[in-house]
Amino acid sequence: MRLVEIVVLIAIALAIAFLITVGFKYIIPLTSVRKIAEFYLYATYNSFKLENYTAMSPEAVTAIVWDFRGLDTLFETSVFYLALIAGLALTRGLIIERAESSGYGLSVIVKTVTRITAPMIVAVGASIALHGHLTPGGGFQGGSVIAVLPMVLIVVFSAGFLVLRGVTTSKLIIMRSLGLFGIGLTAIVVFLAGLATSVPAYVFQNMIKPGTGVSMPSHISGVLISGTLWFFNLFEMFAVAAGFSIAFIALMLAKTLETEKGD
Amino acid sequence: MIPGETGIYLLMAVVSLISVIAVYMAVKERDLVRAVIYSALQSGLYTVLYFLLLAPDIGLVYIPVAVGLIPGVLLILISKTERWEKE
Repeated sequence: MRLVEIVVLIAIALAIAFLITVGFKYIIPLTSVRKIAEFYLYATYNSFKLENYTAMSPEAVTAIVWDFRGLDTLFETSVFYLALIAGLALTRGLIIERAESSGYGLSVIVKTVTRITAPMIVAVGASIALHGHLTPGGGFQGGSVIAVLPMVLIVVFSAGFLVLRGVTTSKLIIMRSLGLFGIGLTAIVVFLAGLATSVPAYVFQNMIKPGTGVSMPSHISGVLISGTLWFFNLFEMFAVAAGFSIAFIALMLAKTLETEKGD
Repeated sequence: MIPGETGIYLLMAVVSLISVIAVYMAVKERDLVRAVIYSALQSGLYTVLYFLLLAPDIGLVYIPVAVGLIPGVLLILISKTERWEKE
């Protein structure tokens, strides 16, 4: 039995190696850029020749995710929100949020190191999210980095640590809803401005487009914010970080209640 | 001397091979906690692949989700159920 397993493993490894060796000529990405990629690279940050089509963001991925195909990303965010609502509905009635003594957890060394690294995690996450229109990253990336922090705190301190500090699931749901509200508002803010000044404008419009009269500002006091992209990243960061934190707190507290019932 | 591009593809091939082995170990492992760790190892190797394939955006979301959050949730769920896989 053991020999069979080893043979299977070697066969898999050889197959992958064979594929990589033979596919060397075919799998390798082309050195030339495809037509559609050429268009995106040309239009992403081009205020000189394409001032009616550009997204004014040096980061092509964020420009595509939140500008060129912004509606898709909006629905992805709502799918995540609905999944979270379903998860919370499963643990409904199992969560009792009350303060418990914080004498549990790992050793003092681990706790101290966690206290030092906790602000760093938040800083890295915020940096990834808020620079999402300049460097690789974005709202979802930054938000999930920040969401690692509640998990670390729950493991290192105790299941009720966050609740003891006032971070309850209802507050996190409010934070998540505010993030989603901000995303929705950013999506229609140019449209509303167009309505107010009675010039044509689109929903999900970022920079000025042909046939419209209003535009998001690409710079605020000389700092590049790429119009809606910075706001989308900011609100998405809050929504994702709060969403993952709700899941962890709900799972952990539902567990404590279950063990108490068993006693 | 290996030229730079070939070296990168060679590194990608090695990383993919190790990740395949990690997946195999994760599937065959009866101890679910160790299976979760093998799965996280595979995710970490995939992050290297994403980085080498010039997709750092995916890499940035893959590290916290696949190495941090999903193993965390799985470990919580394992602690609520059973650690050893039965026949």
